[in-house]
Amino acid sequence: MSEVIDAFGLVTAPALPLLMILLWCVPGFRPRIACWTPWAALPALLLAFGGEAGAFARLDWVLFGTVLGLNELNRVFLAFTAMVWLAAGFYARGYMAGDARGESFRLLWLATMSGNFGLILALDVASFYASFALMTFAAYGLVIHTRSAEALRAGRVYLVMAIGGEALVVTGLLLAAAGGDAPLLPMLAELPGAIAVSAQRDLIIACLFLGFGVKAGVALLHMWLPLAHPVAPIPASAVLSGAMIKAGLFGWLNTLPLGVASLPSWSLAIMITGLIGALGGALIGVHQRTPKTVLAYSSISQMGLITVGVGAGLQAPVLWPVIAPAVALYALHHALAKGALFLGVGIARHSGGHIGRAWLWIALALPGLSLAGLMGSGIAAKLTLKQALAASGMPAWWNHLPWLMSLAAVGTTVLVLRYLWLLRGQDQGDRASHSVWTGWAMLLVAGSLSPFALPAIGLEARWIASISELIGLVWPVLIGLALADFARRRLRSWPIPSGDVLAWFDGAIRLGAGSLRRLSCGARRVASSVRRSIHDLRHLTAHRANGTEAERFWRRQSALVFVAVLVAVLLAGFTFGS
Amino acid sequence: MEWRAWLPLMVVGTSLAASVGIFLLKEERHALRSGFNLAAAAIKLGLVAWMAVGVLDEVHFETRYTVVEGVSFILRADALGVMFAGLSSVLWLFTTIYAIGYLENAPNRSRFFGFFSLCVASTVGIALAGNLFTFFLFYELLTLSTYPLVVHRGTDKALRAGRVYLAYTLGGGAVLLLGVAGLHALAGDVEFAAGAGLRTLDPALHPALTALFVLLIAGLGVKAALVPLHSWLPTAMVAPAPVSALLHAVAVVKAGAFGIVRVVYDVYGIEFTWSLGLLDPLALVACATILYGSIRALAQADLKRRLAFSTVSQVSYVVLGTALFGAVGTAGGLVHLLHQGLMKITLFFCAGNYAETLGVHRIDELDGAGRRMPATSIAFSIGAFGMIGIPPLAGFVTKWYLGIGALEAGMGWVIGVLVASSVLNAAYFLPVLHRIWFRAQRAPWPDERFRMHRDTHPWLLVPTLATAAFSVGAGLLAGMPYSPLYWAEVVVLREYLP
Repeated sequence: MSEVIDAFGLVTAPALPLLMILLWCVPGFRPRIACWTPWAALPALLLAFGGEAGAFARLDWVLFGTVLGLNELNRVFLAFTAMVWLAAGFYARGYMAGDARGESFRLLWLATMSGNFGLILALDVASFYASFALMTFAAYGLVIHTRSAEALRAGRVYLVMAIGGEALVVTGLLLAAAGGDAPLLPMLAELPGAIAVSAQRDLIIACLFLGFGVKAGVALLHMWLPLAHPVAPIPASAVLSGAMIKAGLFGWLNTLPLGVASLPSWSLAIMITGLIGALGGALIGVHQRTPKTVLAYSSISQMGLITVGVGAGLQAPVLWPVIAPAVALYALHHALAKGALFLGVGIARHSGGHIGRAWLWIALALPGLSLAGLMGSGIAAKLTLKQALAASGMPAWWNHLPWLMSLAAVGTTVLVLRYLWLLRGQDQGDRASHSVWTGWAMLLVAGSLSPFALPAIGLEARWIASISELIGLVWPVLIGLALADFARRRLRSWPIPSGDVLAWFDGAIRLGAGSLRRLSCGARRVASSVRRSIHDLRHLTAHRANGTEAERFWRRQSALVFVAVLVAVLLAGFTFGS
Repeated sequence: MEWRAWLPLMVVGTSLAASVGIFLLKEERHALRSGFNLAAAAIKLGLVAWMAVGVLDEVHFETRYTVVEGVSFILRADALGVMFAGLSSVLWLFTTIYAIGYLENAPNRSRFFGFFSLCVASTVGIALAGNLFTFFLFYELLTLSTYPLVVHRGTDKALRAGRVYLAYTLGGGAVLLLGVAGLHALAGDVEFAAGAGLRTLDPALHPALTALFVLLIAGLGVKAALVPLHSWLPTAMVAPAPVSALLHAVAVVKAGAFGIVRVVYDVYGIEFTWSLGLLDPLALVACATILYGSIRALAQADLKRRLAFSTVSQVSYVVLGTALFGAVGTAGGLVHLLHQGLMKITLFFCAGNYAETLGVHRIDELDGAGRRMPATSIAFSIGAFGMIGIPPLAGFVTKWYLGIGALEAGMGWVIGVLVASSVLNAAYFLPVLHRIWFRAQRAPWPDERFRMHRDTHPWLLVPTLATAAFSVGAGLLAGMPYSPLYWAEVVVLREYLP
């Protein structure tokens, strides 16, 4: 019986949002859909906690034969993704009330949610990619919701990079699937093994790492992220940064040959990329001027740390069973904390005059504390990841990882303080509706209490075991506090535009477009001069048509005359030549 | 002769009879003509469905008649032919409904519908032709019956387009005739059959066979709009929307592509073509066309012209699939024969709806059309996303099969072409979708009609939504029995891998 319930849940989780979209088409249902939208994430959450690992549902007629299922890994992702969508959904119900484009926001919200759940539950490549694409394209509408100039620009950058990412992903998936047992009905679980023995192994890994990396905000593929996450409405930012950014990570975990092959050079490259993101994100982020942009850079930084874990997994297959839960836990921790921080921006703006109160500030700071590693899921996540990376027999430079990670934690602390600092004075005096507070509170509670819920989704919670571990967690935060205080008094912030390197790209593109325009201008000039000379030529011949009677006769008969002359010459040649 | 021998003839005859009947009707008998037209389309659909079920059960349907000694007229239902005939009869029904709505109150409807039916009769004839001679007969009939449709409006522009169309297609027909005659001289009456008999010919004839192959492909390539023989297609855009839809989805362009499939598989045989070394050049031409069409589409400001260049690109997916040596690639090409038809006819119906309802022809006038015409715009989005190859729509199925097929054939570079084409498709379709859905209406619509309808006239809307639904179904339910993919796999299993 429970198998039937699980299968039902597996189909319902991604299908319910789509069903709601269909229902919306009946005008009478629209007010009700507006009310029900947040609840669309509930089946997924129930499934994550109540479903059994190993449950699956087969839909042979859908695509090439779709298989949805639950396993140790995707259950964790489903749990935090559904939690973020549920909380942000309640928040959105209040926050978007009265918005002129509220209806379209809801529809895109539901479509994006369906894609996000679908990609997590899909066990076959085709439906995974289908869901991934649905999420990507529907999220475009969320990004440009306000239609402001920045939003449209962010949307354009997002879409261009996302399409590039999709192209890389589909290339990688095709190449990987062709090496598998059933290229026309490929299962995700077969891909890592197929890639490990493929002749184009490095090409496939590059495609998949970069393709999914666009979503995951890998350094140098991250430019869309600080543009798009802040311009979206607050609840959309929360799901973008909390849930959807993990879809890229989820793609890596399911396709890269983690735990199958030992690829030291890939491991090194990916870890370095991760560290660049982790530290660079923090460095650039502190100079930002809006709280949501700071949070977006913090996401890049945190995803960088997770990327380090993924890279480490490629070093040796034996490491992966230890690292995988750590990475999943870290993803969960970041999703809940970052979601709460994003939702907090709206709370600070519409706190109803409570912004001065200590309890509100504590509540706003709590997820930040967790992000810095001093509270709740943060402790468990940081300790587990550090421990997983402290394996023996690994390259010597891994010994530096702990302090590098602590450095990133310093950065995180500073970023969180910068975020709180920027929230000051944002209060507009009005009071947000109940469902906004409910949504925020849900994520706060979920983030704080998640260590107790971890066993229910198959993760082990780890607590501080020794005094040195405690010190390891505390010193970065203290240094961060000191640094932030120092910076606040002594340093002026450095004006780095959000999207950082994109500014250079913009310059390059403008330069390129300019020279292209000049080039095409030149080409057009050449073409028009050619056209003019052809025209002149025609004109000339046309003019000639008005010649005398004799001229016209000769022109008409010229061919005949030519042949006659030719024959005459030939005859003369034959006669006199022999 | 028993009934099985009559069925293929009846399928072709239904449209032919409809055509004759419509020509005989007086111009103002609109209701009768519409009823007659729809009845014929429905009957034909029923007959083809009957035949399709029979073909799955391996029943043999064949009409054969010897014209002169050595030259036979053969109509035969094999899996591939029925697949194409099925597409054309389904789309004929929808296009007829659409055309009735589209041409409401227009002059010369009798002429239009008469040639329209004749055009479909020739398409079905092409689908069911059992040898090169019969194929050629219907192929030329198609050229002649489409001309009056292209020039239907009678404007200078239309007449000019018609001249270009005739020049190209008659030229192509002449080249094709040369090829057919040459092949007849070498091998006698060439019947379509898997692993055909040409390979048993004297190896000394192989150069001649290669030359004839080039002639045949060049002749067929005109209709299939292979670069550089494609220029007539964007010019023919002046035709009324239902004609463009039919031209691009099933009739003319597809007839060329279908002919190429027949020549490669059923005349030369895939293995023999491969051993002659002709598949690689064919794949190259197809890839060049795919990329060239997409690049040109980017530069078009007129919606229908953009769609036309998109057709140039997409039809070559079929040719590309044919040129991939292996079952999967073949299935990918064949399934696109149906998928492209469904998606492209949807897009052209939508373009027609925008033009008829709002007077919008240019892409930059489409701002905010999604609010005025939500249903049409949803259909357009489905078609566009399908063309890009976004799952779970029909185009994705094609792309996946072609990609895997290319890798199995050892032509990994084709993946690059497919991905580049997808990106280009995204580059020319997504801005249109952005305008439709996310921009606000800028100015009053140039020529708004049907204000009383939420979207557009039901005669125009229903076929659009139906073909859009088929495009979704063909991808989302690709694993279902009787889906296009299922048919393509039946064809591959039955004919090419005996």
